[in-house]
Amino acid sequence: MESLLDQSSLFLQQLVNGITLGGVYALIAVGYTMVYGVIQLINFAHGEIYMLGAFLAYTLVAVVGMPFFPAFVLTLLICAVLGVVLDFVAYRPLRKAPRLAALITAIGMSIFLQNMAMLIWGSQIKSYPRDLLPAFFSESAITFGDVSLSWLQLFILSITLLFMIILHLTIHKTRIGMAMRAISQDKTASALMGIGVNRVISFTFAIGSAMGGMAGILVGLYYNAIFPTMGYVAGIKAFAAAVLGGIGSVPGAMLGGGVLGIAEVMGAGYISSEYRDGISYAVMIAVILFKPSGLIGKQNAEKV
Amino acid sequence: MGALLKVKTLSKSFGGLLALKEITLKVAPEQIVGIIGPNGAGKTTFFNCLSCLYHPTGGEIEFDSIPLATPTSTASKKRVRIFAWVFLLLGLIRLPLFWSFFLPQTFFKVELFLLGLFILSIRFLLVRGLIRHEIWAWGLMFIFLLSDFCFALIFLTQPNPSDYIVFTHVPLRYVAMPWGVAAGLFSLYFTGLLCTGKVRRLYGFRTSPDAVCRNGLARTFQNIRLFFNLSVLDNVKIGRHGRMHSGLGKTLFRTRFQQKEEASAEKEGLHFLRFVGLEDKAFDLADTLAYGEQRRLEIARALASEPKLLLLDEPAAGMNARESEELIQLVRKIREGGIAVLIIEHDMKVMMNLADYIYVFDYGILIAEGTPDAVRENQKVIDAYLGGDRGVC
Amino acid sequence: MSLFPKNPRVLFLAILFLAIILPWIPLGPSTNYLLRVLTSAVLYMILALGLNIVPGFTGLLDLGYVGFYGIGAYTSGLLAIHYDLSLWVILPIAAANGALWGVLLGAPTLRLTGDYFAIVTFGFSELVVLLLRNELWLTRGPMGLPGIPPPAIFGYPLTQGWQYFYLALFLLLVVLVVVVRLENSRLGRAWFAIREDEIAAQSCGISLIRYKVMAFAASAAIGAMGGAFYAKWFRFIHPDMFKFWESILILCLIVFGGMGSIAGTMLGALILIPLTEVLRTALPQSMFNARYLIYGLLLVIMMRLRPEGLIPFQLSRSRKAEQAKARLLGGEE
Repeated sequence: MESLLDQSSLFLQQLVNGITLGGVYALIAVGYTMVYGVIQLINFAHGEIYMLGAFLAYTLVAVVGMPFFPAFVLTLLICAVLGVVLDFVAYRPLRKAPRLAALITAIGMSIFLQNMAMLIWGSQIKSYPRDLLPAFFSESAITFGDVSLSWLQLFILSITLLFMIILHLTIHKTRIGMAMRAISQDKTASALMGIGVNRVISFTFAIGSAMGGMAGILVGLYYNAIFPTMGYVAGIKAFAAAVLGGIGSVPGAMLGGGVLGIAEVMGAGYISSEYRDGISYAVMIAVILFKPSGLIGKQNAEKV
Repeated sequence: MGALLKVKTLSKSFGGLLALKEITLKVAPEQIVGIIGPNGAGKTTFFNCLSCLYHPTGGEIEFDSIPLATPTSTASKKRVRIFAWVFLLLGLIRLPLFWSFFLPQTFFKVELFLLGLFILSIRFLLVRGLIRHEIWAWGLMFIFLLSDFCFALIFLTQPNPSDYIVFTHVPLRYVAMPWGVAAGLFSLYFTGLLCTGKVRRLYGFRTSPDAVCRNGLARTFQNIRLFFNLSVLDNVKIGRHGRMHSGLGKTLFRTRFQQKEEASAEKEGLHFLRFVGLEDKAFDLADTLAYGEQRRLEIARALASEPKLLLLDEPAAGMNARESEELIQLVRKIREGGIAVLIIEHDMKVMMNLADYIYVFDYGILIAEGTPDAVRENQKVIDAYLGGDRGVC
Repeated sequence: MSLFPKNPRVLFLAILFLAIILPWIPLGPSTNYLLRVLTSAVLYMILALGLNIVPGFTGLLDLGYVGFYGIGAYTSGLLAIHYDLSLWVILPIAAANGALWGVLLGAPTLRLTGDYFAIVTFGFSELVVLLLRNELWLTRGPMGLPGIPPPAIFGYPLTQGWQYFYLALFLLLVVLVVVVRLENSRLGRAWFAIREDEIAAQSCGISLIRYKVMAFAASAAIGAMGGAFYAKWFRFIHPDMFKFWESILILCLIVFGGMGSIAGTMLGALILIPLTEVLRTALPQSMFNARYLIYGLLLVIMMRLRPEGLIPFQLSRSRKAEQAKARLLGGEE
């Protein structure tokens, strides 16, 4: 029988790992939730943007030979552009179409992007070059008994937190943020008030995709493995996180991401590691069935 | 001779917004009753409560001596909720005990936990009144009874106890068993309650909208809700859905009953189309009809369900004088056919010509009622909105 | 532009005749290969007809169809291996099992709107695949289920490709009859009504719960039957054969052909499945995944340019309506 101390430090370590993973999920989830907020569409292709972020950074670093931080920033920019292009090409023409059509288009784009990546980069697992980050990154920054928080984890957590704060401020303190909130409530009225609806939607896609791409890079660093199908699973989990927190609500996505990350790591550790992915699916199904408005979101009534 | 429709102090609020306040209204058989009032007065909300798309927050609706809806009180809702949560919790506690009997060296295995959760969710949904049909409640109760029985049986006759944790730990076995039995009995009792409808009545019940139609109350909508991608005749045939009886079996095997029923559905559909004057358009797509024709199609569809009371929501909207006149004739024909009509309308000419009795809504309250002449003279009504003949679109 | 033929019944019989004599046309050594491709196409026609019931007739986007396909396949495989049952016993059992899971999935998801419904069905199919992969005691997981005995007609086991082809054709005809009968009935109309406008459907006396669950059960039963046939035909099943991708493929077939129209669905399968094979052999090995890419692109393009599909739903019904009109007016005199 393990000592209580051992058990609790295992628990805490799992918690730390879970929060880190949760931060990544939150980054992706935020993209889903913002897009859903403004155009009421689940952007299935968002997971692929996350994957592309990881691969683009890989290409820039390993093939082109850029140092890390410039590559990081450039990847973010490219992902933002990709998001805008995605909206422009696939979703904007279907703005007035029935929901089913837009949903099917989103699925189609997701499949297209995933296989495009497979074509370009091949389906083997790739990893970032060993000496990409300064060597101390994999060492632990903070140690508390048996629980350690590596610099890498700290980096991930702080970047996540930083960008969440920036996002929150953007949405609540800037004019374009207010425009986003207005559109998510009533698109027509916003247009009538002089808001350039399409431009704001493009902006939303840009931010969401940039954060998704960033999450991709961070995950690539953390697990040291990237592969073209990573977007698929992570996308679903992030969507589960977004729904858990309340789709359409950015703080909800953050909260949902955190909860889901912890649940997944705990579940994998304590219950069953084969059903690791199943936990996210189960959480998502449970939330949708019992409380579709999520932890933070509000109920919507339909007018007859 | 009792009233066909009796509404007693009906109230409906959406969160903080009070849409209807204590409306009392009566419609006698073969009567034409009108509802007028400014926009936003709650008239369509009232119709939605009558057809049970909304659940009233106060008052009662009785149609043809059958109660359609009774309100929920927050107190009784709370009681039922607590009941449901305790029930759910007990079930959850029972689960790990149940699975620990079956799976060697496991206590919580996610996949079976999920399955159990799934089954529990169905039970929980039953409690929340989402599965309304009594016969389902009986069926589910039977299944739960069976599962609880199997559980007890297997527990007692377990052939190889040494594989399972619980059995190697003797005191636990005797602690676990009564829990299982208790939870089983509790679930039985609770589901049994649901069968008798006691909980449903505690929770306040609302007939489902489709049952309302089958009881004889049909309606049209303010914004035309036709099945646009289907033909005109199909629309009317769907209206006859409640009066037809072919189910899955008869359809799959194309029995003679089903064939006959389809043929008569076609004939009757054409009959109703003839009644509203759309017979020659029977095979056109509903989409291609003119606006006025679409409204008439909606009426034909509603009539196809052979209602006793027809609710018309602004049927004359967008019609010119001639079409309004035809509409008046149509509604009179409907009444002659033995159907009572409750009609919301803004067009005063139509209303004054048709209605035997009028109710006036304003801001969700009944401000006046009476014969058309009485209402016309009523000062309150005049103040609220009446100002001569107005055909509003 | 419509692809709907002037006289569908004649065309259908012509195609059927062609299909029946197909195995006997001497095409040289590749006959067996062609037969395999066509059998696969027929199988997908069956699956597509099944899926068509939910998004096509009832208007709910079901992304979890592969779950039922897999359930049917494993039911069939396991029953065949452990109990050596005949195909004709297995088929109804698999269908019933599929229907059961259809009901279990359908019941809690009734109130969900389009997006959430799609996600939940997707989650369900993923969970099913996970279960298939990890429950070694039941399904042998990643080792797959080899050695499923072939079906036998009157005691003679099927060995030749053309025998399987005829079997598939027969099953297709059965499913076709079922679906056509459903389409032209009170049940079918109720489903269309739900698709067009749920609230109006309710006001016509259609119980949403009952009909949505029925649609699910019917679709799942057909999918499971397809899976049962597949297990007996391929004689080896493995969890990787039932990925989410299959759901998308089948969805592609019905979107391309015309969601809701039976003829369209079959045409979609008939065109796209052989196309997959052609692509698979035509493209070099390194471009292996290009065909998936093409499907994704296909979905996007179809939604943009012709969302109704090749043979749109309305058209197929209005053709029937004109025939009915002619019949009725002729009979009424």
